[in-house]
Amino acid sequence: MKKTILLITFALNASMALAQAPAAPAAPPPAPVPITDADIRAVEAPKADDRLKGDPGASITGTVADISVADSKKGMTVADVLNQIGQNKIAINFTWTLITGFLVMFMQAGFAIVETGLCRAKNANHTMMMNFMVYGVGMLAYYLIGFTIQMGGVGGSANLGGVNPLNTEWGITLFGKSFGLFGQHGLFLTQGGTYDVGVMVMFLFQMVFMDTALTIVTGTCAERWKYAAFIVASFVMGAFIYPLFANWAWGNGWLANLGANFGLGKGYSDFAGSGVVHAVGGLTALAGGLIVGPRLGKYNRDGKPNAIVGHDIVIVLTGCFILAFGWFGFNPGSTLGASGNGALRISSVAVNTMLAGMTGGFGAMFYMWTRYGKPDASMSGNGLLAGLVAITAPSGFVNTIGASIIGLIAGVLVCLSVEFVDRVMKVDDPVGAISVHGVNGLWGVISVGLFADGKSNYGGSWNGVTGSVTGLFYGDAGQLVAQLIGVATLIGFVFTFSFVVFWLIELIVGNRVAAKVELEGLDIPEMGQLGYPEFELKAGA
Amino acid sequence: MVLAGVVITFLGFVISVMSLGMTSSVSGRMVMVLIGLAVSLVGIIGVINRAFLKNALWRK
Repeated sequence: MKKTILLITFALNASMALAQAPAAPAAPPPAPVPITDADIRAVEAPKADDRLKGDPGASITGTVADISVADSKKGMTVADVLNQIGQNKIAINFTWTLITGFLVMFMQAGFAIVETGLCRAKNANHTMMMNFMVYGVGMLAYYLIGFTIQMGGVGGSANLGGVNPLNTEWGITLFGKSFGLFGQHGLFLTQGGTYDVGVMVMFLFQMVFMDTALTIVTGTCAERWKYAAFIVASFVMGAFIYPLFANWAWGNGWLANLGANFGLGKGYSDFAGSGVVHAVGGLTALAGGLIVGPRLGKYNRDGKPNAIVGHDIVIVLTGCFILAFGWFGFNPGSTLGASGNGALRISSVAVNTMLAGMTGGFGAMFYMWTRYGKPDASMSGNGLLAGLVAITAPSGFVNTIGASIIGLIAGVLVCLSVEFVDRVMKVDDPVGAISVHGVNGLWGVISVGLFADGKSNYGGSWNGVTGSVTGLFYGDAGQLVAQLIGVATLIGFVFTFSFVVFWLIELIVGNRVAAKVELEGLDIPEMGQLGYPEFELKAGA
Repeated sequence: MVLAGVVITFLGFVISVMSLGMTSSVSGRMVMVLIGLAVSLVGIIGVINRAFLKNALWRK
């Protein structure tokens, strides 16, 4: 026993002495040893016998044996290893961007059932078909010309391995600076060297974003829009309206360069498209809603609005959930990668997205509960979507507190806006798309100029300006001005362009179905088939 | 009336863009952009929308 106590005391003293002794000077770090081809060849691959036994522990799958060798006679070299590392980075980014693009594509299903559920049963087939075919019509227009206009001069994307062929932007000189207006490479995804794997990834991801903008309009114009007019409007929007603004914001156009050319922050910054996608869709919907006019029975002769309730709140809220799910593709996918250039911020972007959706839902629910005594289901759904729309632009630039505030404001704003559009402007918007996407898209753009915290770092610069996007609350008023110029462009240019397009369609094709068709329901006259053929629909429903 | 509204809405955009060339101060540009935004909103809500409301279907 005595021996044990002595030993413990000795050990304790020794350790205390060691702890109290002055630290020995740190040894200089070893000089880097260059790795040679011989070192690479010395790395042992798993034995063939071992591989035949299978690999349940995943210890011999994915080894040096899986690295491609350029010249089998020379054997593996350092260059082979470095090329493999580079390809792995791009492969991660391709996979990430494609999968998030697939998620965004699935949002079309969410939009389809939200809009159909908010319309009456007698128009279910027509509303669903518009949402279904807008995917194809938009894609065709974008493939033929829209992608070229939008991305043909973007000038490269490091995360996708370059996309170097997209390098020709057409512009004018204004105030002594270059104003990029539209791209010129990418027609049919072959012209100008654009038959390129990176360009294909870019096309797929940008195409599904464009289609999201187009499907917003079908909601506002639902239940009285001629199907032929819808086809024409969607084609023009996919070919020209959306791509033009998207070029200015994302394709190396003049808005993106407001920072580099005029010292306004980092230029117009719209991380995932509150402005490019949602405000463009929402403002085009406003133009359409004005020209198409309200549904029969929506307003009394004295201008008092009547509520025309949708036929299925269950599918409306299911659709909202699908959209919230798809938004995890929309926002985090907009890094265009998960490896390199600060792309690991995808986690922050995803959390911001879910938080803003949550506070948006709460904002709308509590507003409606307080004002009307019930937590309105459709407005709660719209509140969730409004929060998601608003966080889309700032999701890559703000912290979680900023995201929560942005979403909360969006949730209340959508309720106020729906009331304004419905009662003051008397524009009939069956699904609230103008408020959800238009108004909150604009709010999202402005919120970047307020809440961006200057902590994001996507390769050290944004829009060609060194540093991080920083809003007014964190010290950069110039960023807010850049955002407001974007808002002015959306309202002053995009709305005007859309309005003229709808006006021309009104003159040539006509936008609205006959009153008899509208009263009967658009399913049979326009589509030839009822959405719910075995249901007996109430007269006038 | 509608055509005038379209022109006014577009004019707001032009005013906002002109802010880039007319001044280099951030606050000066901010003021001009806000004026441009106000003009565009007047064009949409005050002119175009009012014109449509005058001839609205539900009045007939």
